[in-house]
Amino acid sequence: MYETSYHRADSVADAASKIGDEGKYLAGGMTLLPTMKQRLAAPDTLVDLTHIGDLKGVSVNGKEVRIGAMTTHAEVNGDAALQSACPSLAKLAGGIGDPAVRHRGTIGGSIANHDPAADYPAAMLALNATIHTDSREISADDFFSGMFETALNEGEIVTAISFTAPDKGAYEKFRNPASRYAMAGVFVADHGGDVRVGVSGAYSNGASRNSEMETALSGNLSADALDGVAVDAGDMLSDIHGSSDYRAHLVKVMAKRAVAAM
Amino acid sequence: MASHLDSNVIPPSRQRETPRAGLTWIGQSMKRVEDPRILSGKGGYIDDVKVPGMAHAAMVSSPHAHARIVSIDTSKAEELPGVIGVYTGEDVATVVDPCPSFASPPVTQHAMAIDKVRHVGEVVAAVVAEDRYIAEDAAALIEVEWDVLPAMVDIEASLEAMGDGVLHPDDRESNKALDESFEFGPVSEDFDAADRIIKRRLRWNRSSAQAIETCGVISQWDAFKGGYTIHANTNFYNFIPFVIGGSLRVSPGEMRIIPVLTGGSFGSKVFIHKIIIMTSALSRLSGVPVKYIEDRLEHFTNSDSHGSDRLYDAELAINDDGTFKSLRFTVLDDYGAYLQFGVGTHGNAMAQVTGPYQIGSFGMRVIAVLTNKTQQGPYRGFGSEVTNWVMERMADAAAEELGRDPLELREQNMIQPDQFPYMIPTGNIYDSGNFQKVLGEAKSLFDLDAWRKKAADMRAEGRCVGIGVATCMERSVYGPTEWWSLNNKETPGFTLTSTPEGISARIDPSGKLFVTLHSPMVGNSPETVVTQILAERLTVAPEDVVINYSDSQSGFNGVGPQGSRFTAMVAGACVSAAIKLEERLKRFGAHMLQRRPEDMELRDGKVAVKGLKDQETSFADIALNSSFFRLSFPDGEEFDSGLETTAVYDHPLSTDPHEDREHLGIFYPIVGHICHIVAVEVDPGTGKVEMLDYAAVHDNGTIVNPRTLAGQVWGGTANGIGTTLSEQFNYDESGQFVNPNFAEFAMPTANEMPRNFKLGHVETPSPYTEYGIKGGGEGGRLGAPSALTSAVEDALQNYGVKISALPITPPVLRGLIREAEQAA
Ligand SMILES: Cc1cc2nc3c(=O)[nH]c(=O)nc-3n(C[C@H](O)[C@H](O)[C@H](O)COP(=O)(O)OP(=O)(O)OC[C@H]3O[C@@H](n4cnc5c(N)ncnc54)[C@H](O)[C@@H]3O)c2cc1C
Repeated sequence: MYETSYHRADSVADAASKIGDEGKYLAGGMTLLPTMKQRLAAPDTLVDLTHIGDLKGVSVNGKEVRIGAMTTHAEVNGDAALQSACPSLAKLAGGIGDPAVRHRGTIGGSIANHDPAADYPAAMLALNATIHTDSREISADDFFSGMFETALNEGEIVTAISFTAPDKGAYEKFRNPASRYAMAGVFVADHGGDVRVGVSGAYSNGASRNSEMETALSGNLSADALDGVAVDAGDMLSDIHGSSDYRAHLVKVMAKRAVAAM
Repeated sequence: MASHLDSNVIPPSRQRETPRAGLTWIGQSMKRVEDPRILSGKGGYIDDVKVPGMAHAAMVSSPHAHARIVSIDTSKAEELPGVIGVYTGEDVATVVDPCPSFASPPVTQHAMAIDKVRHVGEVVAAVVAEDRYIAEDAAALIEVEWDVLPAMVDIEASLEAMGDGVLHPDDRESNKALDESFEFGPVSEDFDAADRIIKRRLRWNRSSAQAIETCGVISQWDAFKGGYTIHANTNFYNFIPFVIGGSLRVSPGEMRIIPVLTGGSFGSKVFIHKIIIMTSALSRLSGVPVKYIEDRLEHFTNSDSHGSDRLYDAELAINDDGTFKSLRFTVLDDYGAYLQFGVGTHGNAMAQVTGPYQIGSFGMRVIAVLTNKTQQGPYRGFGSEVTNWVMERMADAAAEELGRDPLELREQNMIQPDQFPYMIPTGNIYDSGNFQKVLGEAKSLFDLDAWRKKAADMRAEGRCVGIGVATCMERSVYGPTEWWSLNNKETPGFTLTSTPEGISARIDPSGKLFVTLHSPMVGNSPETVVTQILAERLTVAPEDVVINYSDSQSGFNGVGPQGSRFTAMVAGACVSAAIKLEERLKRFGAHMLQRRPEDMELRDGKVAVKGLKDQETSFADIALNSSFFRLSFPDGEEFDSGLETTAVYDHPLSTDPHEDREHLGIFYPIVGHICHIVAVEVDPGTGKVEMLDYAAVHDNGTIVNPRTLAGQVWGGTANGIGTTLSEQFNYDESGQFVNPNFAEFAMPTANEMPRNFKLGHVETPSPYTEYGIKGGGEGGRLGAPSALTSAVEDALQNYGVKISALPITPPVLRGLIREAEQAA
């Protein structure tokens, strides 16, 4: 790690005023701190968002769900109101990493980071979520712009995400045997017959929707409906853990399992 | 009938303590005496050690698999404040010579590369600085110019390499480091006479142990005395001075190696000679004590402890009635860039290469291949884990071709309980065993009949469920001829034949029994087992036993925890020491009670008159009197003050290899036996394997401590599960090591262990060791791969999938399933 300075922000405005050109926001630190330790990232300032109360917590109002950016995976997983409004998302949060990661890592950090193998981005796409920042609202479709890339501007802060709970939803993932991140994570959500499918872990441009699957499922929400859908391996990541063909295959298997679980 | 084994005569047993029922401490699941200080963070690992004036080293490593070093510019690094010195391989070579090599002829290896690098991660320069941060910063400022050479990555291709593809052109013309053939018994005749020959090509890929703690050294050159004081987490501290003295240009006695608690080895810390030599050179060059702790990347890429990486073409000659006649194979082993101990891992495998079966002859051609990868080193099993797997694969293949039940075929060929000691074709013996009993226990522990029915029902429902059984050997108590017996007979190298273990023991005037060990603690339980054995033999309370460790100048013969030897060997030293102490205790005690020594016995930490209740005196009283009151005893040196002794135990049963290598002698005779049975389910959609049930029965002779043995079996099984299902070091075509970190290298965690692991034991005591103890440190990894592979193959029987390479990761299995689906 290189030398850095630390600022504990007490409000969103305070945080935004301290970030500068070379600073980074610190959320759970589960991703940022290891990369700093390996000297892959070297921000001159860390602006800690952990103590900004406004950024924390889950609120559920009927089908409307809002989750503060600094809400940890464990809090999302354990929120009783969310468990009844959108159990699939609560369950997803409970399957991220290990207990230590779930008690530090945050939903805002996860989506701002947009690791292609992270779980939340698939859910944000399938849930048609809105990403709230300190300056605007961005639809999930526009937010995830490429691997480790998002629509966020320099210094922009994710404050919350919100969505309307689907009628039904399910998430199935196949874990990378080494990192335990998703090698293929598929979130299927049924919004009144209009089905959205978000995929993590597999696509080389990061979290993506699969429109063929969405079309196939929108008239017929059954695993069999996916039989005829071909997942294009050309768009997939390929590495020692699995070829693009293997990942394409996994996406379909996970999608079918998600549908079967709905 | 004359046999090639006739000249290999089994020596008589030197056992003094016979195995018996009713022991007090041996056999108890005593809590580990090591644990309180370790669990409370007070253990003292290498990184906890600080020496006054100590500086820190950071390394510059090669990013290339094979390259010439054109130039190294250290000027910017030297200017950084806090840097004490910057050194290249050439600087290091001014004060040390190349690393020792057991290979013959040796493959030259410098502790820090000179002229050329041969694998990614090989160190070419080092910075010594006031702290590690500065050292790392300075290392990043060193500029190296490279001339990249073709990388040799594939075993077979590397054999064909010429010109710039040859790794060691000064030593040898090709990348073939060794090519030796052996026939033990009438192999050709047996193959000619057999009804069938089963052939398989089998591939075992490399991985390594990756203990939590990496390797580390603090070395301090003493310019006045001309020697080194070294703290290191080597397993071998009383032996390593003799191995590295030449490299360090000092006599072994001029090195003081101080052991530390070691955070896991599994073989990986047996030597660590390279970084001891390198760090010592840095201390000598810089004039200050230097600490170097490998970071994880360096441990993966440069710590010379990668495991076996082998390609077998194996043949088993059998008769139609199922009788195994002969086994032979050609094996290519990808040893990486150097060959630190020759083909010792194949020598090791010769101890039990024919498994628990009666097989009359065995032949082998072994070819050691040099490639641009980190060199191999010891890893739990030391090569025998691979031949166990090969033997069990061949047994399964034979069953399949004969249409026989694999278990029944194994039983048909097993050595019978009345055939021990049993000499296998290589000349090693199996001292004792009851394989049928182990198998019987395992079957009932697992409830095999019920499971077989259940698995068949599940398969009928379309699930991929299968059961695998492995019946394997676990050789223990190694003799060192394995290091060189397969070397070229003309230049066998360092023909070491001794692996002793010693202790010192002293009863101080307060009555405590102080024991000094000469081998370190590496996560095993040396203090616990020594406490139990001495408490048993001397009738003292375990809490009165205090254990310490020597250093290499105060210590003597100790070879340490490796080759599943430590408990059995140190038990011998404990018994020898106890015999000597007992004699003195009785002599002094008898005098104090005015009796004759032969009337005395040891009873609950006292010397007592045999058969008489109140006629006794405690060890503490005897020690007090014998230490401080010399005039109370008669003249004569037999009453010299104090109660102390040293004792060394030599290998209990070994013979020399035959001059012409018709056999290899007895070198690994104390054999355990293991049976693993596992039920798995394969998810055909993803290729993922789940273990549904697991039973392991191990026979390690007399068990000193069931709890610590269980820990060994559990851990070894976890290693074996990793080897089978997920762990592999991946090198790409350019020789880049793609996954040297835990985000990419799939080591199993608790989540991947079987939920309901059932462990059972059979105790067939050894007739050769004290109390009949056998080693048990490697068995899990020696059995799990075979059982799991069989189970997965069984689970995929409807697809006809055959497994001939490990690891069987999800994409590998999914690929095999897809091929089968497409073929159907
Ligand atoms: C061992 C381990 C296993 C893991 N396994 C999984 C897994 O299975 N699935 C999974 O999805 N994830 C996994 N993760 C990642 C985990 O979910 C992280 O917590 C997450 O990726 C980042 O969240 P964080 O709160 O820790 O963010 P940080 O590490 O603090 O920040 C990450 C990045 O986001 C930026 N950032 C953070 N918050 C904001 C904000 N509000 N606005 C703008 N930018 C912001 C930071 O500046 C930084 O660049 C794992 C992590 C570890 C260490």
